[in-house]
Amino acid sequence: MSASMSEPGLRRLEPFRAIFRGYPAAAAGLVGVVICALIALLAPVLAPQNPFNQNELDIMNGLLPPMGEMMDGSVSLLGTDAVGRDILSAVMYGMRTSLLVAILSVSIGMVVGVVLGLVATMRGGWVDAIIMRAVDLTVSFPGVLLALMLLAVFGSGVDKVIFALAIGIWAQNARLVRAVGLSEMKKDYIAAARIGGISDLRIMFHFLLPNAISPVLVILPMAISGAIVAEATLSFLGVGVPITEPSLGLLISNGNDYLLSGRWWISVVPGLVLVLMVLSINVVADRLRDHANPYLQAKG
Amino acid sequence: MMSFVLRRPGQSAILLLIMSVLVFAGMYVISDPVAVMAGEDATQADRQALAAALGLDRPLPVQYLTFLGNILRGDFGTSFVYGRPVLDLIFERLPATLEVVFLAMVLGLAFGIPMGIYSGLNRKKPATKLISMVTTIGYSIPNFWQALLFILIFAVWLRVLPATGRGPTTEFLGMQLSLLNPEGLRYMLLPAANLGVALICMQTRLARSGTQEVMYQDYMMFARAKGIAPPRLIGRHLLRNILIPIVTITALELGTLIAFSTVTETVFSWPGIGKLLLDAIYRSDRPVVVAYMILITLMFVLINLVADIIYAILDPRIRYS
Amino acid sequence: MALLTITDLSIAYGLADGRELEAIKDFSLTLQRGQIVGIVGQSGAGKSTIGKAILGLLGENARISDGEILLGSENIARFSERQFGAIRGKRVGYIYQNPMTALNPVLSVGEQLIEAIEANTHRRGQAARDHAIALLTSAEVSHPEERLSKYPHQLSGGLCQRIVFAIAIAAQPDLIIADEPTTALDVTVQQAVLGTLKRLALQEQIAIILITHDMGVVSQMCDEVYVLSRGRLVEHGATARIIGAPRERYTRDLMAAIPSVDEKRPRFDVLDAFEETPGRRRGIDYLKSGIASDVGQTILLSVRDLSKTFKGEKRGEGFRALDQVSFEVIAGETFGIVGESGSGKSTIGRAILGLVEPDAGATISLAGRAIASGDRKGLSQRLQCIFQDPYSSLNPRMDAGTNIIYGIVAQGLVDRRSARVLAEDLLEVVGLPRAASRKMPHAFSGGERQRIGIARALAYRPELIFCDEPTSALDVTVQAEVLNLLKELQESLGLTLVFVSHDLAVVRQMCDRLIVMKAGQIVERGSAEQVLTEPGEPYTGQLLAAMPRVLRSAEPS
Repeated sequence: MSASMSEPGLRRLEPFRAIFRGYPAAAAGLVGVVICALIALLAPVLAPQNPFNQNELDIMNGLLPPMGEMMDGSVSLLGTDAVGRDILSAVMYGMRTSLLVAILSVSIGMVVGVVLGLVATMRGGWVDAIIMRAVDLTVSFPGVLLALMLLAVFGSGVDKVIFALAIGIWAQNARLVRAVGLSEMKKDYIAAARIGGISDLRIMFHFLLPNAISPVLVILPMAISGAIVAEATLSFLGVGVPITEPSLGLLISNGNDYLLSGRWWISVVPGLVLVLMVLSINVVADRLRDHANPYLQAKG
Repeated sequence: MMSFVLRRPGQSAILLLIMSVLVFAGMYVISDPVAVMAGEDATQADRQALAAALGLDRPLPVQYLTFLGNILRGDFGTSFVYGRPVLDLIFERLPATLEVVFLAMVLGLAFGIPMGIYSGLNRKKPATKLISMVTTIGYSIPNFWQALLFILIFAVWLRVLPATGRGPTTEFLGMQLSLLNPEGLRYMLLPAANLGVALICMQTRLARSGTQEVMYQDYMMFARAKGIAPPRLIGRHLLRNILIPIVTITALELGTLIAFSTVTETVFSWPGIGKLLLDAIYRSDRPVVVAYMILITLMFVLINLVADIIYAILDPRIRYS
Repeated sequence: MALLTITDLSIAYGLADGRELEAIKDFSLTLQRGQIVGIVGQSGAGKSTIGKAILGLLGENARISDGEILLGSENIARFSERQFGAIRGKRVGYIYQNPMTALNPVLSVGEQLIEAIEANTHRRGQAARDHAIALLTSAEVSHPEERLSKYPHQLSGGLCQRIVFAIAIAAQPDLIIADEPTTALDVTVQQAVLGTLKRLALQEQIAIILITHDMGVVSQMCDEVYVLSRGRLVEHGATARIIGAPRERYTRDLMAAIPSVDEKRPRFDVLDAFEETPGRRRGIDYLKSGIASDVGQTILLSVRDLSKTFKGEKRGEGFRALDQVSFEVIAGETFGIVGESGSGKSTIGRAILGLVEPDAGATISLAGRAIASGDRKGLSQRLQCIFQDPYSSLNPRMDAGTNIIYGIVAQGLVDRRSARVLAEDLLEVVGLPRAASRKMPHAFSGGERQRIGIARALAYRPELIFCDEPTSALDVTVQAEVLNLLKELQESLGLTLVFVSHDLAVVRQMCDRLIVMKAGQIVERGSAEQVLTEPGEPYTGQLLAAMPRVLRSAEPS
């Protein structure tokens, strides 16, 4: 509409910084998140080896422990797996797959959920009833189980995992937006907009959306870390991403067989990276949520 | 109050019906059971005979009604792998899952609620920071990897607990339970702890945020103002309020535990329904997968219903309106 | 010896950035046994903070930075939480503003009363229960035994407040802190509840510190009054002296801002002269050119047989919010709709504005033509609304200027570039600076937000503005300013106003004619003068009698 509505830009960064001031754990988490994102983005440049290029793998390098010397004389920092794949490289590429799946599934789930939540709020009546029954149907199953069943039916693959996870996510967002939206709808500024002859579409996107979106944004990091764990779990169980594009979960699963024979690094290293990534996102998410909680904020 | 409880079964029935359509569509329409069952080298005639035997040559609505009719009669078919009625298989393994879930739930409530209330009341104490740190970490470790760590630490390195399997059981009311067998309990500890950690973290968070929210309500200040001492203030005024969401969500959480028992049971080779499902998925044992989905939906419907009823009983604002 | 002596009390709140804000500075008060004193002040004056300090209920981030509070001979200002345990409920009782939130929603009121008795007296078990019934009886609760098993949400606000009274007097304390005890209640209930409080105090020889914003309540209840502004004591003295001959400028303004139900004054005598800037003149010209001001005897709005039934939870059960309401509004007048909460007065407005669908059979016509409820755009330029709650009536995610012009720009009534200037002009019209246009709603006070809401309604240049309790959420001096603004706008623009209010004094100051609503029906109609001086209906008489009046000359009893 006017310039003021695009104002949230630079000035929003200042309060953002203030959220993390005085919270070292959350700030460290933020740094961790940035590092993970950079590694995932730059994996092809940073990784010593392309772990999925068969020509670069040599079975003679198999099962080297961390700091083990490879055939070509280079040192494998974090060891290798059974087919001679460098764990460090595999983990970097695995982070890429894990983050990609999580971000895409959350984005799809969020957009679909927010729009349907808004529509249910604005339209009410039977539209609302249908959308909310679909939400009830979806949220009565835990996300992982829902995805597991969907993948059991439709088969696995990166696109199918994204789709299966998004189905668990849209419903939460739709429910959240509708709950907040309904309380906003009772407020006088919406009545004022109606009396002011403003169309439903404008009310939906310029009045309702900006005021109902914050709880969705607050749980967004939590949703991403949840999706990372869910994808890892599915891939660990063997119904997630294919072996050609292994995520962290699949790498852990591959190493699982060697765990009892003492070759712990194959599964522990990707596991630790997974935990650190999820932990970083969660401490940031916790901080954001506490910051948004009026009961805690009032106490300063 | 009655209408509140009665409103749900109608919705639940619709939910079950929709689920049956989806499962039917997924299992019988999208994928082709004949191709799976007949195998690679079956002739065209073999396939047709098999399709006719399975009733797959009839129109879809008829097939669906047959499918639904069989389910309603309790006939979920016979497992391809075990050659036994699916329902028998599931009920045989259900106690193993439920007892682990039960123990995990006890752990969650016993540790989570006191830790949560303590950290909600004492925001600045060091113990609160420790609890918050531990729960955040516990929450961030994926269930399956934590299970691997448990095995690595307690079974491989320390050698104090068995790594996998169920161990000896004691029969009780026709069910085989490890809970009642001292040696069996040792086998159960790691799987239950594995499921319980996430629950403890969640209960702690729930009790903490509930405490923080309730402590700032006017009625808590008024109760202090009228001279109510801390033990009663916390034990009655606070607890009675935060228990409403905790008990309700805990009932719902039962579903999540059953879902995650698929992971736990797989890692610990615990012979429950979760492991049964995954084995069935790996071996394309379709009748087992279908039966699991329908039964788990039914179970979730019941859990949601019970949660609603508990909520209505605990909250007088709903009970009397 | 005085019962309570507060000397030079200062209370500071710690802010998030580490600084401290002094909420109370050098406050002193002396209270004798059995005396009722008032602490009066507007929102943010810090009056509740003093009450909480006496009971040790300040939040963790607040601390008594200076001064002492002597209860008898003990200085309780530095008491620990444990030491306060011997005072709360036993020597000092507390009555909280909103009885519905003061009682725990999941415990029965009986349990909440009996636990107070058991905590503060030697009565246990059946003796405590008997005492609870006796307390409820003396707090004038009917059917006390039945009430014990009820939960707060099953009882009315007035009844809940009486239960809170019973809790407060359970251990016969020397002192009760009553923090706005009737603010959350309907006006007809207010009087009875205050009467009970005063009778209990006299009967049990309990002293009361009555914290309120309402001078009417003070003049009825208090022997002495302390006037507080921004944490500082302005003046104190006998109630009659403060009301009759205030010494300080602040108190005089406060008194001048209080509307009287007994006489109509052209303006409130508060400082609110507008600067005649070019922008303001431009804004007034814009409005004048669009608002037809044919002030005469023409009927602008006509409402015939307006009914509204809300569907109930169960089938066949409905709630009739409006029942066959008919009235006419004449162009250029201010038409009042008066009633208690639940009388249906706001529903009339919502039906006319198209926010709720009226039952079949209603005719609403504007300047002789029936209005089409589907034509939201066309209607928006004829009917506008000013809302009750300034904190929810503006879109919090748009700045003030955008809030004002969004609708008229979206409809293409003005082009985007000139709209921004128009928003600034209109802000000047309602008495705000041009720079306010870029600020977000949270940066404004309640009164300022209400002005922005008025500017938004004006921007459409409507024929009629519906004012739905526009000042009931505001402090009395801010109310006076906003009402003055509405009067000024009406005179210069010839606006027609429909003014909905529960406050007869405000209605008296604003309205030419009015209707009185009760349970969805009109019980009385006529000129404001006549209805409010010689009411024809007993109900109107009750409402008038219940109005808390500032007894300017009367001696406090």
